[in-house]
Amino acid sequence: MTLLKREEWQGFVRDVDWSYSYVDDEAVYPEWHSGTGKVPREAWAAWEESYKVTYPEYVATQREKEAAVYAVKGALQRSTLWDSLSEGWKSATKMHFGGTAAAEYAAVLAELKMARFGLAAAWRNMAVFGQLDELRHASITTFFGHEFISRDPQYDWTQKAYQTNNWATISLRNLFDAMMSSANVVDIALQLPLVFETGFTNLQFVALAADALASGDVNFANMISSIQTDEARHSQQGGPTLEILAEHDPVRAQWVVDKTFWASARALSALTGTSMDYYTPVEHRKQSYREFMEEWIIDQFIRTLEQYGLRKPWYWDEFLRGLDIWHHSLHMGFWVWRPTIWWRPMAAVSPDERAWLAEKYPNWEKVYGDKWDVIIDNVNAGNAAATLPETLPWLCSTCHLPCCNATQSRDGTWRVRDFSLNYDGRIYHFCTIACRQIFWKDRGGVNHETLIDRFLAGQVQPMDVGGVLGYMGLTPEVMGDDPDYEAWTRDYAGRPAEGLAAAAQS
Amino acid sequence: MSEPAPQLVPLNAVFATDFVQILVPVTTANTMAEVAAAVAYHVEGKRVRAQPYDKVVLYHGERLPAEMTVAAAGIKPLDFIAVEYDIPEVS
Repeated sequence: MTLLKREEWQGFVRDVDWSYSYVDDEAVYPEWHSGTGKVPREAWAAWEESYKVTYPEYVATQREKEAAVYAVKGALQRSTLWDSLSEGWKSATKMHFGGTAAAEYAAVLAELKMARFGLAAAWRNMAVFGQLDELRHASITTFFGHEFISRDPQYDWTQKAYQTNNWATISLRNLFDAMMSSANVVDIALQLPLVFETGFTNLQFVALAADALASGDVNFANMISSIQTDEARHSQQGGPTLEILAEHDPVRAQWVVDKTFWASARALSALTGTSMDYYTPVEHRKQSYREFMEEWIIDQFIRTLEQYGLRKPWYWDEFLRGLDIWHHSLHMGFWVWRPTIWWRPMAAVSPDERAWLAEKYPNWEKVYGDKWDVIIDNVNAGNAAATLPETLPWLCSTCHLPCCNATQSRDGTWRVRDFSLNYDGRIYHFCTIACRQIFWKDRGGVNHETLIDRFLAGQVQPMDVGGVLGYMGLTPEVMGDDPDYEAWTRDYAGRPAEGLAAAAQS
Repeated sequence: MSEPAPQLVPLNAVFATDFVQILVPVTTANTMAEVAAAVAYHVEGKRVRAQPYDKVVLYHGERLPAEMTVAAAGIKPLDFIAVEYDIPEVS
């Protein structure tokens, strides 16, 4: 028997849009889930993915990928590779496992929503593959992290992190709930596959894979590279959706893309920026975070915008300035509030590391150098306790990350400024102008309480450092600390100290 | 008639060149000198190098007198203040 070629039968079995006789279209594709908005219902019939795959092909390919990843894992399980990894790199992986494992499962639900409520059969078909991909990612990430729990309890946060009220988790959940869980499928297709997966997963899965290999973590590099091959396929749901939306409702298309790019950039500056520029040992860093953003994210994003007739976002200058600030400040924040996180943040500000930072970021010494020097002098004076926090950082009401983005004044000085607004009788504070603008225009964040809001409302008891750590689920064996103070302070030992450090020295 | 009991006023504050805004609780009865000290406690000599100058509270960009209280200044819970060193201008 002669088999038909794929292109001869795929459209026939894929396009299972039938006419309903007992219910109307709105009952099957309600607006609040399907979100067609100003786009005529029939326009979605033109939705067409550029790279086609059938179920047998999908299964065969995925089986090969799984076999390859688990073969490497099996071989390395008997090696001592993990023991030779630096603490900084291990922190990058703990951050990744805790930040992504359960988020991948949230992506399963987003893909399933598109598989049910997507407005074209081809789209729904592609989303079915997408949810299978995400299920694989949730499983593989959880399983790979789980392996290390017996060696280090912080890896338990692979599964646990997302279920806690840790401040970093609240920030990520806030991002992903808006991106994947609460939106209609048209917005999801723009937010998740188009902006986040086409753009930003390159950061965590390509940039970090390169650093993982250089750091000797073949297993991790193999895992995230395998995941990225799936992303590359199912992320194509974004293009056809944007094409149709941009034709009929360009204002909505621009807004959804703009706000998601911004929110993703904020989150990835915390997740990837710190991993690339601090946690990866300096001799293994392939590119700086800024260089990678410029080469892999910004160029591609601008090309995408042009392709669909959209403009550069209104915040573009603020975003570009942030490439020199956001992740450096967040790194300092993670380090200062280290008992509140599930990894061990290496300060990574030895003279060699600072020389690298100053070369990649010419303003780094001016903005951060003296603050790290004060910290270093306190550590060298045996006064590390002075570097620990006794209060909370103020958290942005949009991205839920600390308000820690200094900007330069006309006189050349750098200051962290307040961006606030009054709404419904209370004041909200934001880390940036764009976070404030997104809050104001969307109002989606009005009822999302930051950890500060929860603390001040009395939800955290007792209202002290211990109460906060307990509320966030942190136990003594898990809470973070610098793994090796001496590594980045020893070269400064013996220099004259001032202030608190001098008092401790005397 | 007795004075009303001081009320808690949690503030969003930043100290000089520090890298982050922080939560600092004060009361309506605290003076600006006390507020400045409460903010500085978390930062001065810990991340920002101590300087031999007085400190001044800035509220909506305006300098507030050291003896003025939080209540008299009209500073409300969740408001933002900045604390700066009062460095004399060199003529």
